[in-house]
Amino acid sequence: MPSVTLYHWEPNANSGKPMLALMEKGVAFESHYLDLLNFDQHQSDYLAINPQGTIPAMLHGDRVLTESTAIMEYVDEAFAGPRLMPEDPRDRWRVRWWMKLMDQWLGPSFSMIGWKVFVGPAVSSRDPALLKAAIERIPLPERRLAWRKAISGEFGEEELKESQRRVALGIRMLEQELEKRPWLASHEYSLADINGFNLAYALPLAQPALSNDELTPNILRWLRAVYARPATKACWAMGRTSMVKRVEILEQPHIGAGKIA
Amino acid sequence: MRMTLYHGEPNGPSLTVLAALFAKEVEAELVHIDLASGARHTLSCAQDPQVAMSVEGEGPVLVVEGEAMTDSVFIGCYLDDVGRGAKLRPADPYERWETMRWCRQMIERTAPAAAYLGCRAHRPKADAALLERIGSVDLRARWEQIGAGSFSEAHLTDSRGKINQAAERIEARLDGRDWLMGTFGIADLESYAWLAGMVRLLPAAFAGKPRTAAWLERVRARPAVAQALALSRSADPAASWSVGPEINRWG
Repeated sequence: MPSVTLYHWEPNANSGKPMLALMEKGVAFESHYLDLLNFDQHQSDYLAINPQGTIPAMLHGDRVLTESTAIMEYVDEAFAGPRLMPEDPRDRWRVRWWMKLMDQWLGPSFSMIGWKVFVGPAVSSRDPALLKAAIERIPLPERRLAWRKAISGEFGEEELKESQRRVALGIRMLEQELEKRPWLASHEYSLADINGFNLAYALPLAQPALSNDELTPNILRWLRAVYARPATKACWAMGRTSMVKRVEILEQPHIGAGKIA
Repeated sequence: MRMTLYHGEPNGPSLTVLAALFAKEVEAELVHIDLASGARHTLSCAQDPQVAMSVEGEGPVLVVEGEAMTDSVFIGCYLDDVGRGAKLRPADPYERWETMRWCRQMIERTAPAAAYLGCRAHRPKADAALLERIGSVDLRARWEQIGAGSFSEAHLTDSRGKINQAAERIEARLDGRDWLMGTFGIADLESYAWLAGMVRLLPAAFAGKPRTAAWLERVRARPAVAQALALSRSADPAASWSVGPEINRWG
């Protein structure tokens, strides 16, 4: 069997999606941790694998795969192990619809806030000349712009307000959907749940006024159910930063409104 | 299984879904609606989250047993699963990954650019009462900007660049093959549907690309595509545009 190597950052957002999918399938993989905050993903050895310099990328034998959601579908189809896409075609449509909403509409809003509060401050104290050089090495122009904005705290008030509006609406949509069924897109655990957990695992900590056991009981039930899975525990144990340790909030049996320090 | 497809003129996402439906020989009631005047927002399913919040913008809606489905590539995957016609996606997982990755680049980078340029050249128009019914705040904002003729130079330049890149990717991909994924399928449909109307608006992007020109002709000549194009109520379906996906807010 050809070996699997995953180039990833933390079990969070895009990196966490193929990590968790591989672990749910029981696929052994060699882990290559790239420190996003140290710009490892824009170094020449990684650019030789993925010229776009985006994380994650997966090597299966000599094949290189990118785009985290498409990688997840590949992982589900190429390996034995529990099925992560439902059998019913309409359920599969629903899985993909939700993943697109999260990847392209809700996720970027979460990230804008996350970059403002976590990524930007984490790197902005470094030597400005080194940071400038690091940004110039970024292959995709849109990623260069995003890094520039994050580092200089340039996300405008209007942009952040719009992101917060979308986060609030996205939370309401998730709650309504999870009221209908145990998992996000079908009656069985699927890639939509893996995708969603990567986006929302710290929700009651990051958005305590919008998501807690009183306001969004179905989201909290769902997050705890995903976190209870052995693959999720093993995956989040691979995290190195305080950002992913926020998942431990889900160990609290009850998270009330406004009671989080 | 009872299905109804609400579709617009055979261009953009409506063309993808109509052609997929015909290629897969799926029976459905076809209802033509004027997406360019916002008619989707008069449907009884308009406020269903999967319709109101569809990332694709003003695309077709397939209603199956009461559930309203949107987003052309994923409706195409659904039709591929349930229909009896030839497969629209490869069987091999790696080739399927290539298909989904290709389509993702199309829907995320090319579609917003094409819709922006298409709407500037052929402006959709919805009256004020209809705009108020639009469930998504950001989709409504895009309608208002386009209705007011407010197109940003930065977005126009970026969009032209994205169409250029798409044409370059297609030209490179067709080296040694007739179809983007080897055999005709969803990747061809989605790419053709967004780009067919760009050839006249942005001829420079397609100049000196003989493989792409021949591929455009091949796709147009496919029986399922010809059948979809024959449903047009105008002489020129490639000139029919409505508000599309949002241009990436991150730049």
